[in-house]
Amino acid sequence: MSDQTHMLAGHDLAPGDEEQHSVGARILGYVVGLALALLLTATSFFIAGTDLVWQPSIPVALIVLAIAQMGVHLVFFLHITTGPDNTNNVLALAFGLLVVFLVVGGTVWIMSHLNANMPPMDQIMPMRR
Amino acid sequence: MLGKLDWSAIPFDQPIPLIAGAVVLVGILAVLAWVVVKGHLPYLWHEWITSVDHKRIGVMYILLASVMLLRGGSDAIMMRIQQAVAYQSQGYLPPEHYNQIFSAHGTIMIFFVAMPFVIGLMNLIVPLQLGVRDVAFPTLNSVGFWLTATGALLVNLSLVIGEFARTGWLAFPPLSELSYSPGVGVDYYAWSLQISGVGTLVAGINLVTTVLKLRTKGMNYLRMPMFCWTTLASNLLIVAAFPILTATLAMLLLDRYLGFHFFTNEAGGNVMMFMNLIWAWGHPEVYILVLPAFGIFSEVVSTFSGKALFGYRSMVLATMAICVISFMVWLHHFFTMGAGPDVNAIFGIASMIIAIPTGVKIYNWLFTMYGGRIRFATPMLWSIGFMVTFIIGGLTGVLVAVPPADFMLHNSMFLVAHFHNVIIGGVLFGAFAGFEYWFPKAFGFRLDERWGKLAFWFTFFGFYVTFIPLYVAGMLGMTRRMQHYDVAAWRPWMLVAAVGMAVLTIGVICQIMQIVVSIRNREALRDRTGDPWDGRSLEWATSSPPPVFNFAFNPDVRGEDAYWDMKAHAKQQSHEHDAPEYHDIEMPRNSPTGFVCAFFATIMGFALIWHIWWMVVLGGIGAFATFVVFAWRDHDEYVIPAEEVAAIDRVNLAERRDLVSMAGTV
Repeated sequence: MSDQTHMLAGHDLAPGDEEQHSVGARILGYVVGLALALLLTATSFFIAGTDLVWQPSIPVALIVLAIAQMGVHLVFFLHITTGPDNTNNVLALAFGLLVVFLVVGGTVWIMSHLNANMPPMDQIMPMRR
Repeated sequence: MLGKLDWSAIPFDQPIPLIAGAVVLVGILAVLAWVVVKGHLPYLWHEWITSVDHKRIGVMYILLASVMLLRGGSDAIMMRIQQAVAYQSQGYLPPEHYNQIFSAHGTIMIFFVAMPFVIGLMNLIVPLQLGVRDVAFPTLNSVGFWLTATGALLVNLSLVIGEFARTGWLAFPPLSELSYSPGVGVDYYAWSLQISGVGTLVAGINLVTTVLKLRTKGMNYLRMPMFCWTTLASNLLIVAAFPILTATLAMLLLDRYLGFHFFTNEAGGNVMMFMNLIWAWGHPEVYILVLPAFGIFSEVVSTFSGKALFGYRSMVLATMAICVISFMVWLHHFFTMGAGPDVNAIFGIASMIIAIPTGVKIYNWLFTMYGGRIRFATPMLWSIGFMVTFIIGGLTGVLVAVPPADFMLHNSMFLVAHFHNVIIGGVLFGAFAGFEYWFPKAFGFRLDERWGKLAFWFTFFGFYVTFIPLYVAGMLGMTRRMQHYDVAAWRPWMLVAAVGMAVLTIGVICQIMQIVVSIRNREALRDRTGDPWDGRSLEWATSSPPPVFNFAFNPDVRGEDAYWDMKAHAKQQSHEHDAPEYHDIEMPRNSPTGFVCAFFATIMGFALIWHIWWMVVLGGIGAFATFVVFAWRDHDEYVIPAEEVAAIDRVNLAERRDLVSMAGTV
């Protein structure tokens, strides 16, 4: 990793600044990304209203499609790759995901306990009886 | 036409803020008049206000922090006097004024003293330590500073126009909701933090990018000075945590302005969510402040012990561990809200775990000093004072991290003593250490050691005399934020604390005297070598003050303690460089974007506070237009010709050669 961290320009690039591809290849990438994104969106809308699948599986399917959508955006539009030039971006993404997970997960956990233990006064009174 | 603003906004019946405001206004006008009459205005405008040089912006950040430290310190003096006299009486401050003072004190000290001080030091030093010419986004840097200044201006405006929040420094609802705080106080609080929060966020993005993307040749991650590492960690936390603050305050503002019910008591609002969110920002904030201070102490201890930092890699690991764990402890600020034993236990344990990497750091500093040839210069005194003070504060912190103990001590004076113990002993001592250490680098002359040492000793003992009694008062059951009290047992401790405040004030006066005396004796204190402390990292490799381009050549780094290695190498070979070949250097042009943007942001913030909607639109359009003009600029760089670079650098090299030939031992 240490060799990659030298400041030499061209080694470590920001998203969108990546090495020179021909315009055609880049347009192709964006078109494929757009097509996949549209496909996933259309599928989500279709699944949400259909009765062709087992109903309780619909929320799970929507979550899976949403995560896939995020993946498509990251790969085709934000150009996150696994290449060595992308270490910073991948680490930043991981740190961001960790923080979001900690804050959102922690908040849900804390608030559920707080709401259970500390309901408003008008809900406590019936419980006392 | 003017929304809620009319003559009743000016507190004619309250002499204290009015007189204070008048004195400040006269002071500002006098300085402005002096600047204009002496013809310094063009210099001020071209060299400072529109500057995008990271060193200048860093200095302005620190200047802002110092001025606001005096404001926040005055609040502290007023509170200590009030609590000393308000035994079985009302004291001299009416409750509504006292409440504004403790709210303003907390808000100012965290957001407009501690934050700008550490961001200023990072701005000033990090690019130099990395061996580069500027930060990643120079103009954005200027915008960030001026937006922070806007926030500070709005908070101080509340002194004479309207009122400040009476809610404490985090404006907990439902007290901060419209039904309980109908005035403009909370709006002043929230808008000034929203605007300065944008400034802090862009500063964070800028510094993260600088550390990740702009490093000189050979400066890989594990060769970076410790201060760069703590800067990286601290700014990662800024980027991750400040959006939470912005979102939380935005929800509070929606409640207040548009009748939403996020945090209200009625209509499905949940007050507890505010505490949860604000502390999800608030705890990382603590580490945003103290991590850079840890970095400063690492630099200072290593330099003044004449040794490389002990356990560099464990220090890096500890820094990054704190960076992550700081997002796992926020509930310990509201153990008593009732989340229950299992939640409290987990967060209590996490809070105790974060003391471990901090302990690693303390031992590393001690082992760095062990066997070193220690020079007790002023920065080193602040560092040793920090270690003693911070350990006490850390231990009381571990104590309140135990939920049952916290139930006894929550919101007591013990808590007040604890967080002052870590913030003064950690952040402020760190800021002062950094100030004393890097002042010669910024201005080209050293600070007077005698006044500096006096300032340290008065501040150090003043701190203990002020805050140890507050621990005791907290143990005796005194709660925080009391305007008056009737318990005889607390009285002596409040009197002792007031004496301590007087000692602290003498410390502040010594600090001011130090700067005055040093400026007057600047020729005698001149640092011609650029390396007054026998430093180890790259900021000492250039002249003091550094040229606008920092380095004529990007230094080539071959190990940790880059400049120390270069010096040792140069001594062995008994010469530094052969005549090098200079090149043109491109530097970013100065730009008034930041200042103009903040001017419109000030108008917009003030208009939002007073509900002057046409002025909000005006300010918004102005700020956006500034951005558009900047985005479509044609020339963003200018060239410093190679001959000029050569002329500047030859002077520096000549001075340095004398230093190397004079130096006896390593």
